[in-house]
Parts: sequence; structure tokens; C-alpha cells
Amino acid sequence: MSHSLDAYLILSALLFAIGTFGFLARRNAISMLMSIELMINAVNLTIVAFGAFVARLQLHAAVIALLVIAVAAAEATVGLGIIMAIFRNRKTPLVDEYDSMRQ
Amino acid sequence: MTLLIPLIPLLPLIGFVLTGLFGRAFPNEIHRVAVGSVVISWLIAMVVVVGALAHIGIDASGAGVKLWTWIPALGFTADFGLFVDPLTACLLIVVTTIGMLVHFYSIGYMAHDRGRWRFFAYLNLFMFSMLLLVLANDFLLVFAGWELVGLCSYLLIGFWYKRPVAATAAKKAFLVNRVGDMGFALGIMAIWTQLGTLNMQEVFARFSSVPGEWQVAIALLIFCGAVGKSAQFPLHVWLPDAMEGPTPVSALIHAATMVNAGVYLIARCNPIFGAVPGVMVVVAAIGIFTAILAASIAFTQTDIKRVLAYSTLSQLGYMFASLGVGAWTAAIFHLMSHGFFKGLLFLDSGSVIHGMSDEQDMRKMGGLAKKMPTTYWTMLVGAVAISGVPPLAGFFSKDEVLAGAFKDGFLWVWAVGFLVAGMTAFYMFRLMGMTFWGPSHVDPEVEHHIHESPPSMTRPLILLAIPSIFLGMLIGFPPDSGLIHQWLAPVFEATIAAHGPSEAAYSLFGIDGALMIATTALVAVAIVVAWRLFGVSIPSLNLHAEPRPDRVRELAERPGLAELYTGSSHKWWFDDINDFLFVRWGSRLAAAVWWFDRVVVDGTVNGVGAVTVEAGTLLRRVQTGRVQNYALGIAIGLIAMAAGYLFISVR
Repeated sequence: MSHSLDAYLILSALLFAIGTFGFLARRNAISMLMSIELMINAVNLTIVAFGAFVARLQLHAAVIALLVIAVAAAEATVGLGIIMAIFRNRKTPLVDEYDSMRQ
Repeated sequence: MTLLIPLIPLLPLIGFVLTGLFGRAFPNEIHRVAVGSVVISWLIAMVVVVGALAHIGIDASGAGVKLWTWIPALGFTADFGLFVDPLTACLLIVVTTIGMLVHFYSIGYMAHDRGRWRFFAYLNLFMFSMLLLVLANDFLLVFAGWELVGLCSYLLIGFWYKRPVAATAAKKAFLVNRVGDMGFALGIMAIWTQLGTLNMQEVFARFSSVPGEWQVAIALLIFCGAVGKSAQFPLHVWLPDAMEGPTPVSALIHAATMVNAGVYLIARCNPIFGAVPGVMVVVAAIGIFTAILAASIAFTQTDIKRVLAYSTLSQLGYMFASLGVGAWTAAIFHLMSHGFFKGLLFLDSGSVIHGMSDEQDMRKMGGLAKKMPTTYWTMLVGAVAISGVPPLAGFFSKDEVLAGAFKDGFLWVWAVGFLVAGMTAFYMFRLMGMTFWGPSHVDPEVEHHIHESPPSMTRPLILLAIPSIFLGMLIGFPPDSGLIHQWLAPVFEATIAAHGPSEAAYSLFGIDGALMIATTALVAVAIVVAWRLFGVSIPSLNLHAEPRPDRVRELAERPGLAELYTGSSHKWWFDDINDFLFVRWGSRLAAAVWWFDRVVVDGTVNGVGAVTVEAGTLLRRVQTGRVQNYALGIAIGLIAMAAGYLFISVR
């Protein structure tokens, strides 16, 4: 475990960038959902890192991190549910083929 | 007794509802309901009239019955109350009697009309409205009746609505009436603001507490309503056109009852008008001017009903002049006698038109006396009565009007009225000469169809001829103390005592006798002149004169008279003036307003819509439907915000 806050921040920035790239570049809805998870976890890592290095934020960070995990779980459930429903209708996981509301 | 009062208007209302609901199902029987309801209403009205005039159950100051509170709104209340006093009783006699006879007459007159049930429904509605107007004890209720009779007038003028002339005439009557009604409505509002009540008895009792300028305003506004309804100058233009309606309607509404509403209203409001002498002069001036204006137009009209219509205007002008000079009783007396003989004349003209296969042009008539004897004799009675030949009804009432004007100090009113008396006799005997005497100008095809009308039409004529002969003697003799004066004294005595005029006693061998002889002499001269020009043929009196169309033409072309003739035959261009002022300029104003509405108002609304649509079309391209595009937008926004934050915090 490193004693430098910067290392954690750089790691989480990297994870966030990977997640963003994945979200923008992938067409598969499942992959996009996974990218979102990655971004959420990157943010969570930042929060936890700040909590560990700044004494004043310790308690807050723990609470917020738990909250984010709960929200992420809920988001994954709902997101997966939506994707399953669409998949059953459209027989494809590719988001650019979901265009029935396009003019 | 007071319990009977509500039944008088209620029965025609029930008749209207039944006739209107079931008329289509029973078109040939339903008129029995309509006529029956009016007959019962007449019987009840006669009982009430006797009660009011003989003071049985209704004392001299009148009796009211409050049915319910019509509009209970905290500070503003109006009662649905009816009221009968001797003045109302006089009107009830005219309205119910003539109304009933016209109902009988219409059975025959409208026999061939498929819309007869509709006609009777309207007539019953009119009877209800007119009785409501006459009996109402609250200005707002009077106004309701006032508007309802206007509505019935509209419906009945336009009864043959498929004829464009009739539809236009109905619209004209309705619109011109609205001008007057607007004034009346404002007058009622003014009364409310000043006195806080619309109950007539309360208003009259407390009217002296109203500030002077408001008294004048209220009187003028009420007079404005009366001018519209009674077709006085300058709102007289609707009445001649109203003759497009069926003739029984002309007789009932536009001669005998509805047009008298203005006279009744002013007489009813005598405590208001008596308090403002200036307005009284206006009333007299408008009245007497209308009298001579209409009489001059009647000289040259060729449509038999239009002559009578202008004659009606002229006689209504007499009544207003009489009210204006303060001869209240004489005005109501003339109203009653005029109601009977003008109703008679109109029904006679209807009988002529019916017998002539709907021909109304007098130039195509002539020599009808032998072919339609009943119509002829009753119409002769009417003509003699309206001309003021003693001792028929018109003589007594017209004499009282003129004597009232003279003795109350309105010499100019008397002078014009005197002239109009001669003119009336002239144009009435011109009408008689062209229609009944002289050689026939009837189309050959129509000639052998001419027939006397059925008994259902001639019987009302005879029944109306009787009061036309005897009414004057019965209630107007002796002059100034006859029955009508005894009846109406309680209504007007307070106003006369407070504001005058205090009239000199009647003197047969003094001024009254002289005036009477002068008027009668003028009437006699006018009748003889009419006989010499338009012919006469009464074998039983050994009177005979051939019509002289050559001399008529020569007179009409004589310099000085030719201008008058042209003016008269063009009705003094009032329709053209109205057309120019209101129709042409009104349509220009309307066009300007329409332009504003189209360009500015619609432009704003449509502009907002167009901008929204355009903006939407442009912005729609942003919505690609690809999740990645949106996400890229979010990411770029996020980076921009982060960069901005860093940029600011570093500096």
C-alpha cells in the first residue's frame, strides 16, 4: 500500500478514463453497462482514498462510499433489467440498432 | 284578486310551451291550445281590470304581488313581482283584447301556411312577454319583458325567413332596437347606482333625493329606450321595414301593443319625467317631429301596409308629444283608441292582401268595395276613426292631445299636431280611394280570385270596429272628466300636483270648443281634398267622385311641391343616411379592425408558433438517437467544466 494520495488518484483517473472510453467506444449494451460500473468504482476509489488520507473526511468518505456501492448495485440491477427487456424485443445487444424512435 | 294577476302572463307561457313542444306533431290542431290559453288569459285579465278600475280588491294606488326573489345577491336584489294599477289595467285591456282577436284572425290568415304552429308559438310567447312587460313591478323585470318582446318581434318579422327581405328586415329591427335598449339598460344601472333599488314603487317614492344631473340622465336614458321600442325619430327606420312580417303580426306587435311599450314606460315613469321639465320638452319635440315626418312620408307610399306603418309612427309621435306636454291621460287615451283602430286597419289591410293573392301595391288595387264588403266597411270605420271625425274614437283622443298641448303652453306642438291631423285624414282617404273606390287596376289573373275573407278573419274585424266607433264616447266623454280621466287620475295626480301643468277646466264654449271645431274643419277639408284627388264612392250617402290621377301628377310636379314629393317618396333619405353613416363607414371600421386582428393579433400568435417549429427543426438534428453521442456530449461537458474549474482555481 502506497503512502501517496497521488498514486490512488492517478489510478482512479486511469480507471475512469478506461470506463469513459469503453462507454463511448463499445456498441454492446452489456459492455457499456460494465464501463459504467468501472467509472463508478473509479469515483468510489477516489472517495475512499480521500477518506484514508484526510482525517477530517474519514467518516464521511466511508458513508458516501457505502452509498455509492448501494446506488451502483441498484443501477446495475435496473440497467440489466432494461437491457434484457430490450434484448427480448429487438434480438440484439447493439445500442445503435435501437432506433425505432428516430425520425 | 292579486292571486289572479300571475295567471295572466302564465297562461300564454304555458300555451307557448305546449305549442312549441307538440306543434310539429299536431300542426292542424295545436292552434286551439294557443288561442285557448289567450282567451282564458283575456277572461282573467278582464276580471283584474274590473277590479283595478272599480277598486274591488285592488285600491286606487294599485296592488302588487311578489312571487319570489328573483336575484338574491347580497347587496343586489331583484324581486319577481307583478303590479296592477289603473294604468296597467288600461294596457291590459288593449293587449289582451287585441291579442285575442289577432289570435282568432290568424287562424284564418295563416291557414295555408305550413309553419302555422310555429307562428302561434311565437304569438303566445309574445303575449307572455308583453304582459310581463306591462305587469312587472321591477325595472329589471320590465327590461326582461322589454327584450323578450324585441325577440318575438324579430322572430315574427322574419317569420318567412326564406325571403331575404324578411330576414334583413328582422335583423334591422333587432339591431335598431338594441341601440335604444342600450340606453334603457344604462338608465336602469343609473337608477341602481343612485337609489340602490330597482323596485318601481320605491324608485318613484325616493326619486326626488337623486341629484339633479342624475335625474336628467336617468330620464334621458329611459327615454332613449322608449324611442327605440316605439320607433321614434331617429330610430324610426325599423318599423316600416317590419311590415315584411305576416300582417297579424303587424297589427298586434307593430301597431297595437309592442310599439306602445315606450309610451307606457314613460307614462309609468311619470314621477321621473315630471321632475325634469327639460327632458319633457325633448320628449314632446321628438314626438311631434316624428308625427309630421312620418305623416309626410305616408303621403306618397304605395304599399298599403307601409302607409299604415308610417301612420303608426305618426300616431305614436302624437302620444309622445302628449306625454311631453304633460297631458299624461290624453296620451294613454290615444294609446288605447289607436290600439283598436290601428289594429283594425292592419287586419283590414291583411284581409285585402289575403283576398288579392298577396298583392300589397295600392296602385294595383281599386274598386274593392263591392267585392269585399265587410273588409271595406270596417276599414272605412278605421279610417274615419283615425282621421278624427266625430264622434269616433280617434276624435276624442286626438282632440285631448291637441287641447293638452295648446293649454299647457306648447303652442308649437299644437300647431304641428294640428297640421298632422289634417295630413292623417288626407293619406288615410288616399289609401281608401286607391284601394276600395275608383276603377279597378287589378291584374286580370288576380281579378277573378278576389274574394271576401273567411269568417274567422272578418269576425275580429267587426269586433274591433265596435270599440273603434264607441270607445271614445264610452271613456272619453265628457272631455276631461270621462271614465278614462277618473281611472287614471290616481296614477298621475301626484306628479301633476308636484310639477304641473295645472290645466284650465274644460270649456266647450271657450278655447276647447274652438280648438275642436278648428281641427274638425281641417280634417273635413283634408278628406274632401283626398276625395277629389283619389275618388270616392259611397252610394248610401250619395257621394261620388272619380279619381283624378292627372291632377295628382300635376300637383306632384308643381315647383315647390315637386321637391317635397321627391323627399317624401324617398322617405327623406333616412335609410340612405343610415346606410352611409353606419353601413358604409361601419364596414370600413370593421375592415380596419379585421386587418388589425388578422395582421397583429393573429400575426403574434402564428409568429410564436412558427418560431417554435423552426427552432425545433434546427435542434432536432442534435437528437441522433445514439447513446454514444449523448455520452460524448456529457463527457465533453464534464471535461470542459473540470478544465474551467482548474483554470479558475489555478489563477
